[in-house]
Amino acid sequence: MDQRLAMGRRDFLRTTATGLGGFVTLSANPSRPPDAPDTFEATRVLGKTGIRLPIISMGVMNTDNPQLVRAALDAGYVFLDTAQGYQRGTNEAMLGEILKDRPRDSFVIATKASLPKDQTTGGYGPGATEEAYTRKIDTSLKSLRLDHVDIYHHHGTWTREATLHEPIVSALQKAKRAGKIRFIGVSTHRNEPEVLDAATDSKVYDVVLPAYNFRQRHAAEVQRAIARAAGAGLGVVAMKSMGGNRGGASASSQIDARAAIKWVLQDSNVHTVICGFTTFDQMMLDLTILKDLTLSAAEREHLRLASRAAGLYCQGCGGCVRQCAQRLPIPDLMRAHMYLYGYRNLVAARDLVLSLALPQELCAECGVCPATCANGWNLGDRIRDVVRLRAVPADLLAQPGEFTKVLVNSPG
Amino acid sequence: MRRHSGLGAILLCLILWAGPPGAAHAAAPFAFPAVPGWNLAGQPQVFSPETLYDYIDGAADLYLKYECEELQVAEYRKDKASVTAEVYRHRDALHAFGIYSQERLPGADVQAIGSQGYYESAVFNFIQGSFYVKLTSENTGAEDRDTLQAFARGLSQVLAGASSLPGILSAFPAEGKKQNSEKFIAKEFLGYAFLPSGFTADYERSGQKYQVFVIVGETPEDARSMLGQYLKQIRHGTGPAEGRYQVTDPYHGDMALLWKGKYIWGTLKLGDPDLRAAYLTQFEAIPTR
Repeated sequence: MDQRLAMGRRDFLRTTATGLGGFVTLSANPSRPPDAPDTFEATRVLGKTGIRLPIISMGVMNTDNPQLVRAALDAGYVFLDTAQGYQRGTNEAMLGEILKDRPRDSFVIATKASLPKDQTTGGYGPGATEEAYTRKIDTSLKSLRLDHVDIYHHHGTWTREATLHEPIVSALQKAKRAGKIRFIGVSTHRNEPEVLDAATDSKVYDVVLPAYNFRQRHAAEVQRAIARAAGAGLGVVAMKSMGGNRGGASASSQIDARAAIKWVLQDSNVHTVICGFTTFDQMMLDLTILKDLTLSAAEREHLRLASRAAGLYCQGCGGCVRQCAQRLPIPDLMRAHMYLYGYRNLVAARDLVLSLALPQELCAECGVCPATCANGWNLGDRIRDVVRLRAVPADLLAQPGEFTKVLVNSPG
Repeated sequence: MRRHSGLGAILLCLILWAGPPGAAHAAAPFAFPAVPGWNLAGQPQVFSPETLYDYIDGAADLYLKYECEELQVAEYRKDKASVTAEVYRHRDALHAFGIYSQERLPGADVQAIGSQGYYESAVFNFIQGSFYVKLTSENTGAEDRDTLQAFARGLSQVLAGASSLPGILSAFPAEGKKQNSEKFIAKEFLGYAFLPSGFTADYERSGQKYQVFVIVGETPEDARSMLGQYLKQIRHGTGPAEGRYQVTDPYHGDMALLWKGKYIWGTLKLGDPDLRAAYLTQFEAIPTR
């Protein structure tokens, strides 16, 4: 058996928190968040909850493979993160089947749920009652086969108002008093600073779970809000360290997971990162981060290039599409542009452009492009630039050479 | 063309050489249907792979794993009742079945709409072609089932695509198979990156709960490559040659495998060696197509 596979929990703890004396010195690098500390602990305390966790945890959402979860727990992962909405509850049910055979004090588990929100305002409607949310909590406990969870997150809010929605907060507080949940959390995937500040101000929340990654244009704002939350004693669990799949599955797959996770963990206010690995190899690879948080020169360069791609990342607001006389799928074209100039992946860019079934004549009716971009991009230039790929034979791209370099280095 | 003046000429040549571009595929459009007595509330919302998070938060990761290309959402209202229709368009029918199978609960009340659907209180989900449709209702009272069925039928009529399940599912051995437990795993089958996808079904016989799976390669050579990588990963000494394997996977335990043509059949979590051997005989009898 692979030596790594044989590493048990005791070994894991010995080689991380204890074996390293709990501290590793980081080298200076340009990709780390400002004010990052020079040392880190392989375990950190989750704020006022007092729970000490390895800095690497498992996000279970992407897998339906119970053996992967079992292997992760055996290898030393302690903290599992799931949600009632993942696979319509079957993710929680899978964990219930796994955890029923394990001592309750051998793992820490968080789950989460939401109630229907207005997708435009982010606010809750009249159906978002205390009773409805209490049913959510009880359903989670039943699926997980547990009498309590360690953290229950109010899931996916992006406004202060929704974060503090009284019926849900009340349901969480009552569940905490009843012993169904130990700590109250809130998760957020967008407008994170507002949610984190609301949670910190509320004195209700114990833990926050924000998206936090090097690709966020507002990463500095998220970092500030995280520091404020941690300073107030809240536990901070980070997610979406690679930016999730927001750039599309193929974009995400090009991110070096270890480098992205290290970037997040250099912020000492983050207590653990949930990693959404789906293979045994990824699981073991993520664990190696515990031994060395140093970003190598290659990883720094990778993050720099990927950050450049993030600067090419279309937020997909769709405002431009309504303004375009031809109703072109501009967000998709901007994604192709990102593949071309961010990832230098001509094949992916060309495939995407061809898949869009674009009209042969593009932009012929418009002297000046009427579509405006929230990023301030010149959309007309970028569209004309990237659709040139339609004319490039696939076999030419299959053998990258001088032509490839010329094309990528010559926008427009 | 700022840095290389010759690029324009190169591109011009390439354009003349390549001829008109073709479209790899185009999505079949659809319009949300009118449902008697119900009104559409506002314009349907459209979400791309980049914006799917804005609608379903972290659950988006799994939908993207199953190659979701677009989501359209419409809300219908009738007095205080509402029905929300989410239509996910995936890369193809197989991936639509995959995400549907991930979310179908054991013992689902299966309905014959589209390729397959099921009803549970305030929920009706079905697949048709590359579409995965999820209907949820509020305040529909005692008419909930009829209401959602009417919406499902209406949507089924406006969506393109065949109404059939993946053919390979019918090849799974019937004895002991739990009804509607079949799944398609789109990526990293069994937790290994080199196994791109696979089908599973749950079984129970003689008090033993286990799974049968099949990995379908593009070609027999593709199957050979996958099996070779797998045997190397688990440090199994022999292979790859067509035929039977009894292996021990460090994560999955004892497994029976059979490689035949482009198919790799296997058992998971089946402790009884005699039953494992019996399955190998059954797998051998499954015709290759």
